[in-house]
Amino acid sequence: MHGEYKIPGGKLVVVDLNVADGALRDVVLSGDFFIEPAEALEWMAATLEGLPADTPVETIAERVRAAAAHAELLGITPEGVAEAVRRALQGGAQ
Amino acid sequence: MSLPSSSPWRAYDWQLIQDAPIPPVMHMALDEALLEEVAARRRPPTLRIWEWAASAVVIGRFQSLRNEVDSEGAHRHGVQIVRRITGGGAMFIEPGNTITYSIYAPVELVAGMSMVDSYAFFDRWVLDALASLGVEAWYQPINDITSAAGKIGGAAQTRRGGAVLHHVTMAYDIDSAKMLEVLRIGREKLSDKGIASAARRVDPLRRQTGLPREAIIERMVDTFRAQNGLTDSAIKPEEWQSAKRLVETKFGTDAWLRTVP
Repeated sequence: MHGEYKIPGGKLVVVDLNVADGALRDVVLSGDFFIEPAEALEWMAATLEGLPADTPVETIAERVRAAAAHAELLGITPEGVAEAVRRALQGGAQ
Repeated sequence: MSLPSSSPWRAYDWQLIQDAPIPPVMHMALDEALLEEVAARRRPPTLRIWEWAASAVVIGRFQSLRNEVDSEGAHRHGVQIVRRITGGGAMFIEPGNTITYSIYAPVELVAGMSMVDSYAFFDRWVLDALASLGVEAWYQPINDITSAAGKIGGAAQTRRGGAVLHHVTMAYDIDSAKMLEVLRIGREKLSDKGIASAARRVDPLRRQTGLPREAIIERMVDTFRAQNGLTDSAIKPEEWQSAKRLVETKFGTDAWLRTVP
């Protein structure tokens, strides 16, 4: 499943994922944003792995925020990631 | 137009590297190698003007290869696909169609500045150079150089140790039809507007200035030299070696290209 969200005043956040047994799997985050250090991209994706697909967007944003606590984000926000996840789950396969 | 001598740029002995065309993957590797050299204080702060030996799609560090690039279209047009170490968006490059440069600087140059402010700071001299050629351009946060007639270019940064890499690609000319055959994002983003508006979205410097590409680059270098000082320099043999190693171990590998599949 594939979701995209252009953050107002920021960059495009893209999420590709699968859902198995009601949980998020194979979460891949991508986009034209900036992150320091680069490894924080994996930290954010990893924190979503295995999360129940019905997790509220606020909770998803909180988890992403915690995962990126030691990173600098530019053009991407935890809320933006959560919105892209929501769109991926809503839109289904694309 | 000149900045006062108290300009923070003036604290450094800026070096200019302006070399013969090299393959896209080598450019990716040189950016990392030279950033490491400046971070280790083995090289003074440097401005490097790029010349491309081949057409390329350059995708950002965090972009998905399959979401951004039409690999078949790229192959059909002989366009090489490479991934750079900075974030930001995909670019379609043809030799002679873009003006690309890198700045390798100590982070102290932008100390106390927000990341967003540092983008505009690093390209102020370019806006001055363009203004002197009659192009009124400005910074569109976060990382775009734009004008009333359309977008001109985009910047990207990354940091390594005590050094920051700031690099920029500006459009000198553009083959919009070909671009839409190699970049997916362009095609999807513009799917409801068509190719005509894609051509309008970017307004290349050739149309805006009527000048040869070399003349614009010369004015940029002159402007940097006048504002900040600039010593002619070259890539050292050991720097070439580092870059070649990085091509073999990183930038030329499938693992790096598909680091975000």
